[in-house]
Amino acid sequence: MKRRLFIASSLSAIGLAGCGQIKQSLTEGPFHNVLYSAENLNQAVLGTHGLAREYSERDVDAQFRVNGFDTPSDATYTRLARGGFRDYRLAVDGLVERPQKLSLAELRAAGARSQITRHDCVEGWSAIGKWNGPQLATVLAMAQPKQTARYCVFHCFDVDQSGQPYYESLDLHQAAHPQTVLALDLNDKPLDLDHGAPVRLKIPTQLGYKSAKWVSRIEVVADLKPFFGGSGGYWEDQGYEWYAGI
Amino acid sequence: MSPARVYRHGVIARTAHWTWALAILVLVMSGLQIFNAAPYLDASDKSNPARRVLAFDAQDTPRGPAGYTILFGHRFTTTHVFGYTDDGMGAETQRAFPGWFTLPGPQDLADGRRWHLFFAWALFVGWAAYLISAALSGKLRELVMRPEDFRKVWPMQLYYLRLRKEPPPHGTYNPLQKLTYNVVVFLFFPLLILTGLTLSPAVDAALPWLTALFGGRQFARLWHFTLMVLLLGYFTTHLVLVLTTGFWNNMRSMITGWFVLGAHDGVGP
Repeated sequence: MKRRLFIASSLSAIGLAGCGQIKQSLTEGPFHNVLYSAENLNQAVLGTHGLAREYSERDVDAQFRVNGFDTPSDATYTRLARGGFRDYRLAVDGLVERPQKLSLAELRAAGARSQITRHDCVEGWSAIGKWNGPQLATVLAMAQPKQTARYCVFHCFDVDQSGQPYYESLDLHQAAHPQTVLALDLNDKPLDLDHGAPVRLKIPTQLGYKSAKWVSRIEVVADLKPFFGGSGGYWEDQGYEWYAGI
Repeated sequence: MSPARVYRHGVIARTAHWTWALAILVLVMSGLQIFNAAPYLDASDKSNPARRVLAFDAQDTPRGPAGYTILFGHRFTTTHVFGYTDDGMGAETQRAFPGWFTLPGPQDLADGRRWHLFFAWALFVGWAAYLISAALSGKLRELVMRPEDFRKVWPMQLYYLRLRKEPPPHGTYNPLQKLTYNVVVFLFFPLLILTGLTLSPAVDAALPWLTALFGGRQFARLWHFTLMVLLLGYFTTHLVLVLTTGFWNNMRSMITGWFVLGAHDGVGP
């Protein structure tokens, strides 16, 4: 009898799914947490394995699509941009033995990896670009993360319309992936303002929103909870998955 | 005397049936929510407008906003249905699929993905659990298409078209049912899961050959969508047959297992 009741209630749920209010309450109610549990499963099963496919020069999109936030227009960024980013310093600090403030010349000297990879947006589209820049692992190694370090948080210059800053984060395993780079060039030219100049993260094994543009600071931390909404990224705080491998 | 009853659907088949029904409903609706974020499909690896198969668009016209569906370059006006349609909040806006057909209703990619990725697991686990339990209980043998079944497909079709008096002899499922269920369970489900997985950059890195097999990421998205349309086609046919071959009897048999003979001769949906 209980089984019948269960089946009957499942049936009515199917019937009612077309109703807007039910859909809303299911999405916002306790069932939300059940839905969110799939993320852990996805990370456990899919994780970060192998290497993203690398393409040839002729696959490159000459006009790489611009998406997401507007180019920063605040005084600090504008001043840096006007000076050709000569005064830009990438801070690498937090739980590190040797905090760094790296100029673009120092970042270039850290050894450039060149990779032609596909950028997969969470919206569904894909574009191919050639990215040059040091591996994130190299830059992190310069700062020597402490034993308690677990994540790196990427602070960015860009803010949304209400002034909320963009930020992102990776765990140290994702950060150590050989294709996770701090891109300085797109298609063999220094990043232009709209594509995240002077430094952006590029992680082709995850969806595009992880590849934060306009990075100003990398903070090595033990926990993501204290930062902004606590979910480890601007879009993550809006309900998107922190594990963006899928 | 009460009419004769047969125990037609075992608990495994019934549980699988309703799990799949719920999962597919949620997956289609949340999938269209996700689709709306980039309402076009390209037969290529990266996005490429030159190889666009399907797109939705909206434009202002002298008579107000219009919605368009563009299939292989042919433009169809589909205002109020596709392209310019229900925003899920009581108004209309530029949107590929209407709010009443997406989950959540209003534009919400983040929650659409949450629904989709959770129920993708539900479908996969439900599918695997069915195959394992049906294989262990021996029920799977009743479903799996055998070489001799293929010869009976056409006679069965003739019987459905009333061009033949008797259906060819068959077991629990008739040859056409077997063929259809085999296509759905052994072809559509695995392909839907695999094409869905290749939309994921982590899977593409781990299993690049799989993505290449489908022609790249955008092509996989096109296959994923096409399979969904085919599955909806199956669902429509299924529903028509359920409704026209004794709806309550069919529902009872898929809920309690018991099917009353006589009203219909057992050639079910």
